[in-house]
Amino acid sequence: MSNSHLLLLSGFPRAPLQNGIGRYVPQLKRMTIKFCKSSGDSKGTREFIESKLVDFAKENPGTVVYVKPRRHRAPCVQAEYLNGEEHHISLHNMSLEETTKWINLLPMRSGRPTNLRLRKYWHTDSPSIQGVWSPFTNRDPALNLAQFPMEEFSKRKNLTKTATEIILERWQEQKEKDSTAPVQEKTTS
Amino acid sequence: MRNIFERVKQWNTLTRIWHLYDAKWQDPFDSAKVIQKYLKGLHKPIYHPLADCGDHVVVINCKEIAMRGDEWRKRAYFHHTGYAGGGTYTLAWELHDKNPLMIMKKAVYRSMKGNLQRRYTMERLHLYAEENVPQDIIENISSVIPQLRDVPMRLDRMPEDQVKGYPKIWDLPKDYVVR
Repeated sequence: MSNSHLLLLSGFPRAPLQNGIGRYVPQLKRMTIKFCKSSGDSKGTREFIESKLVDFAKENPGTVVYVKPRRHRAPCVQAEYLNGEEHHISLHNMSLEETTKWINLLPMRSGRPTNLRLRKYWHTDSPSIQGVWSPFTNRDPALNLAQFPMEEFSKRKNLTKTATEIILERWQEQKEKDSTAPVQEKTTS
Repeated sequence: MRNIFERVKQWNTLTRIWHLYDAKWQDPFDSAKVIQKYLKGLHKPIYHPLADCGDHVVVINCKEIAMRGDEWRKRAYFHHTGYAGGGTYTLAWELHDKNPLMIMKKAVYRSMKGNLQRRYTMERLHLYAEENVPQDIIENISSVIPQLRDVPMRLDRMPEDQVKGYPKIWDLPKDYVVR
């Protein structure tokens, strides 16, 4: 992550008002297609209005669709959402297919700003049930009463015995065996 | 933040912990790699570069650090006063004589990336030449960073009875001259 992202608006991925759970409220409330009746850069937009706009309005009954002709200006589509946001998409010089693709995108969006830095790629309303981590979780309880500095805690944790320790252990075993052996002889004889 | 308990939970999660590190017979450069993780808070599962979650580290026995091979004689520390001809090279053993904390401090400082946060991170490092640490520092400590190497036992510092009881394979002959 570079530092320029820090100035970006940040947030979590969220559905407005838990949309889609139980019921679905379409978020696109108003759409205005602005175009020119004569110029060539509005050709794709005009074709869309002629062939597909009525179907689009029927498919999205929750959306009001306006069509606004204006002379010799570039075509664009303005979308207003329930959260008060307004999105503009330029349809300049676009073919029918491209126009259809961009306009069909609008009812699928929730109206949140597109330049959002996601703090996480997930969001939950119920955080961990096992509890939030703190520096004191899974800590050795012996440390609670320890007086520092303490050598035994500083020592490296050896999982295997060192060669010196093994030799000392064997020597101890041998010493014990030697001390017990003569006693056994006495009892047997 | 829903209620007072959530607020306290957050304080608990972001508490600054004071760690103790015993640098006796430890390589300062290997230790620095470990210490800097604690200073930045990289050892925590909640770590985030924007969250201020670094811990304090108290390093004791800086005077008794160990270096590999010829490092004490060969490693040179460069300092420039800023004036013409003001550059000096100080060997590691010389620097250690002048200031026993400097090698450890520089090792930790160099182990971190040179960004704006480095100076503030370094302020959480507390270095002491010996074992005695001021009371107001030692009472904060609640955790220990384990050493990287075992501290070797010295024969002249071992208790007398332990030396006598140590297993021997053979004794030196009585007329043997120790040089």
